[in-house]
Amino acid sequence: MNLARVEKSTWIYLGISLLLIVVPIIVTGRSMQFIIIQFFIFAIFAMSYDILLGYTGIISFGHVMFFGIGAYATAIMMNRFDSTILSFILAIMIATVLAAIVSLIVGMLTLRLKSHFYAMLTLALAGLFLVGAEKWRSLTGGNDGFTFKLPEILRDSHNLYMLCLLSLVLIFFGLRRLTKSPFGRVLMAIRENENRTESLGYKIVHYKVIANVVAGVVASYAGVLYSISLRFVNTSVFATDMTIDVLLMTIIGGVGTLIGPIIGAGLVEFAHHWLSSLADVHWIFERWIILYGIVYILIVIFFPLGIVGTIQKKFFPRQNIQKKKKRMDRENPEEGMDEDERYRNG
Amino acid sequence: MELISTLVINGLATGMLIFLLAAGLTLIFGLMSVLNFAHGGLFIWGAYTGVWSYQLSGSFIIGIIVAILTGLLFGLVTEKLIIRPVYGNHIQQILITLGFMLVLQEFIKVVFGPNQIAVAPPAFLQGSFYVGDVIIIKYRLFIIIIGILVYFVSMFILKRTRIGLIVRAGVMNKEMIQSLGINIRLVFMLVFMVGAAMAALSGMLHAPYSGVIYAEMGLEFSILAFIVVVIGGMGSFSGSLFAAILVGIAQAFMAYYVPALSLAVNMLLMTVVLIFRPQGLFSR
Repeated sequence: MNLARVEKSTWIYLGISLLLIVVPIIVTGRSMQFIIIQFFIFAIFAMSYDILLGYTGIISFGHVMFFGIGAYATAIMMNRFDSTILSFILAIMIATVLAAIVSLIVGMLTLRLKSHFYAMLTLALAGLFLVGAEKWRSLTGGNDGFTFKLPEILRDSHNLYMLCLLSLVLIFFGLRRLTKSPFGRVLMAIRENENRTESLGYKIVHYKVIANVVAGVVASYAGVLYSISLRFVNTSVFATDMTIDVLLMTIIGGVGTLIGPIIGAGLVEFAHHWLSSLADVHWIFERWIILYGIVYILIVIFFPLGIVGTIQKKFFPRQNIQKKKKRMDRENPEEGMDEDERYRNG
Repeated sequence: MELISTLVINGLATGMLIFLLAAGLTLIFGLMSVLNFAHGGLFIWGAYTGVWSYQLSGSFIIGIIVAILTGLLFGLVTEKLIIRPVYGNHIQQILITLGFMLVLQEFIKVVFGPNQIAVAPPAFLQGSFYVGDVIIIKYRLFIIIIGILVYFVSMFILKRTRIGLIVRAGVMNKEMIQSLGINIRLVFMLVFMVGAAMAALSGMLHAPYSGVIYAEMGLEFSILAFIVVVIGGMGSFSGSLFAAILVGIAQAFMAYYVPALSLAVNMLLMTVVLIFRPQGLFSR
């Protein structure tokens, strides 16, 4: 790989990732480390949601079902079998395969429909999963849930931190690569104008289904991490609140940016922690969801692009185009760019 | 035989409640192409304010009136504050109405407390009577009658009055209505308010039927309403009545024979309809 061709932002993100490795050395409090771990996990979950909402323009209200599948697959595996690394890896594989199958079926059944139907259907499907988990008590433990043991190595908070951080970084770069690939560009084209993309010869349903599977698998991996971070699982992993949380993170941070959902996840996670601790001060903070809801509504009305999107629009409105021009002049003044390069620069 | 007729009556009563909720949804969707995810919130607000004034005043009728007024008021506020700023943008509409649903649901807990509230039907609707061998519970019959009444009154308004004509024409072609000099925004608002009032009425009637009310039931019940709207066809009023009865009866039978699958059967119904007739059974 030619290092000079790596984008500047990639170096920045790598730098931040390296900084985050040092954090657990400075922040040694277990509860604080736990919050940061939760933040990483929800950042992964929110990024997977961004693939649907931000890049493909699909609104799913049932994304939590993949998260729940991951969480339960891990918990059940760990509970029924030896808590070794091998069964953990097996659990991840099972979670991935299950989520892929479910998202494929759901996608093929529903993604032909208009956005309204899709949103409703996914909401109802997630409701079905929730009811199913509550009724199938012998397997899921219902609303009470159950605890399980972890392999020795994951019990250490520091190791867990590293696992989550590594997952976050890898998934972030993986998804970023995906969205900058020709495939990602087609997804964005679908978001902008479905009919036109279709008339250009793309089978949009195929693209949407693949996007759904990718998002589903990543979400289920977030679910895996979530359940091992708690060492406990109950039906709340299928609750609509969780979908709304992740929706909020994605929208606050900025849809269609990938880095936005990470920032959003951080904000929501820390705000949640902070507001819950204020519950002793005034009872209204116990109902912090109201504040969330109001903030969320205001953002949808006034800043539909979210934090990152608004900043991008305000401060770097034409950056991409200028960059492209510069590079064109520098590299290949006569011929222009090859296809792949053009995609990469947006 | 007795069992079957009891289950049918149960199903009809549930179906009517779902119909009241779904009718507003489907009209609002047909006219404004807004899918109101906050509809369940209007449902619980109707239930809570209605029950509150019912228990305060001791009169069930006052409770119903208060619920309807709450529905109208909340409908007005929702339309003005929530729907109007994002008019025409589907993704924003879906996102914002879901957010508003959340606010409404949490706000219930602030105003009325987080605990469940037990509700009994009023004295004149308590008990049951026999028709032949069949026991008929009065309150269920009452719900069915109200549901049919609302259906026929709405049908009359839609088919026989000028405002109904405008609404039906608006469902077909909004732009044309506007160009004929009719203030379509005002019609939207009215339809939204009426839809919200129906949701609130449904919530109020549901309260003594289920015996308890709690904040989360709005979302649970509105999922059923969404299923009904999909099966009946978006924007079809009669379709939602038919589908609501279908869903209600299916729910009642499954809840008796295979309780674990009572939601699943409706999901299955909806999935089948969506695959073979995605525009719904009654839609053109």
